[in-house]
Amino acid sequence: MLHIITGGSGSGKSVYAEDKILALSGQASKAKRIYIATMYPVDEESHQRIEKHRRMRENKNFETIECFTNLKQLEVPNDSYVLLECMSNLAANEMYLDFGAKEDTVKAVLEGIDLLLRNVKELVIVTNEIFSDSGIYFEATKYYLSCLGNINQELSRKAENVVEVVYGIPVILKGGSL
Amino acid sequence: MKMIIGGAFQGKYEYAQENFKLKQWIDGAVCEEDEIFQCQGINHFHDYIKRQLLEGTPVENLAQELIVKNPEIIIISDEIGYGVVPLDRFEREYREKVGRICTELAAFSLEVHRIVCGVGVVIKRV
Repeated sequence: MLHIITGGSGSGKSVYAEDKILALSGQASKAKRIYIATMYPVDEESHQRIEKHRRMRENKNFETIECFTNLKQLEVPNDSYVLLECMSNLAANEMYLDFGAKEDTVKAVLEGIDLLLRNVKELVIVTNEIFSDSGIYFEATKYYLSCLGNINQELSRKAENVVEVVYGIPVILKGGSL
Repeated sequence: MKMIIGGAFQGKYEYAQENFKLKQWIDGAVCEEDEIFQCQGINHFHDYIKRQLLEGTPVENLAQELIVKNPEIIIISDEIGYGVVPLDRFEREYREKVGRICTELAAFSLEVHRIVCGVGVVIKRV
C-alpha cells in the first residue's frame, strides 16, 4: 500500500515518515526496511543534509539504497517496507541531471512507483509542499513545479493515506492517520 | 504555550486578539531580545528568529529556553516553508530554522491553531 507524507520545509515530515514505517513494519524481526535516498550530493550543504538524515535514522534499522534517477531499474527486496525520500529531489534529478528523463520526468517517476508497488509490502513517500511562493521567476522552475505537482496528485490518488505534517503535527488529508 | 500559525496576511493577529484576550502583545520585528521571555504574547515570531540570525545569535536553544522561561506564552508565526527552496543561502537557513524551532515549540504547545483566510483550524489540542 502507498502512503504519502507531505509538508513544508523543516516541518518534521522525515521523522514522522520514519516512525510510520517503523509502525507499519511492527516488531516483526524479519521485516526488511529500505530507505531509498534520492538526494544527489552536489555540494557541501547537500553532503551535510545527507549526513544529518543518516544520523536521524541511525538506530531505526534501515538499509539505505541510493536512487538518483531511473527508479524502474531499482531492485528492492520483495515484501519490504520502503521509505522513499524525497519526491522533490527525485523529480529534480530526473529533470536536471544529464542522465535524467528530462521532459519524461512525470512518466518515468510514476512508472517507477508502479513497479515498486508491485513488489513491496508498504511504500511511504515523502514529498514537499513548495508551491506557495508569491512569484515564480524562471520558466524552468515553473515547469519543475508543475511536474512535481502532477506527480503528487497522481500519487495521492493511488494512496491509501495522505498526511500533511505541520510543525510535527499530522493533518490528515486522505484516509486515516496511518 | 499556544501557537497561531499560517501564511502571511491571513488574519492571525486578529484571530489571536479575539480568542486570547491578552493585555500585551509584543512585536517580534522590533522588540528587545529579552522581552520574549517576559511577554504574554508575541506577534511576528518568525521576524524575531530572522533578527537573531542576522545578528549572528545562535538560535539552536531558543525553543528550549522559551519553554523553560516563558511556558505560558502565545506565539504567532508565519509559516514560511511552503515555497521553492531559496537560492540564497541565508534565506534557506532562515526558512529551515523557523521550521525546526516551531516544530519543537508545537510539540510542547497545548494548542496549535492554523489560520487560512481568517478561519482558524485547531490542529492540536491537548
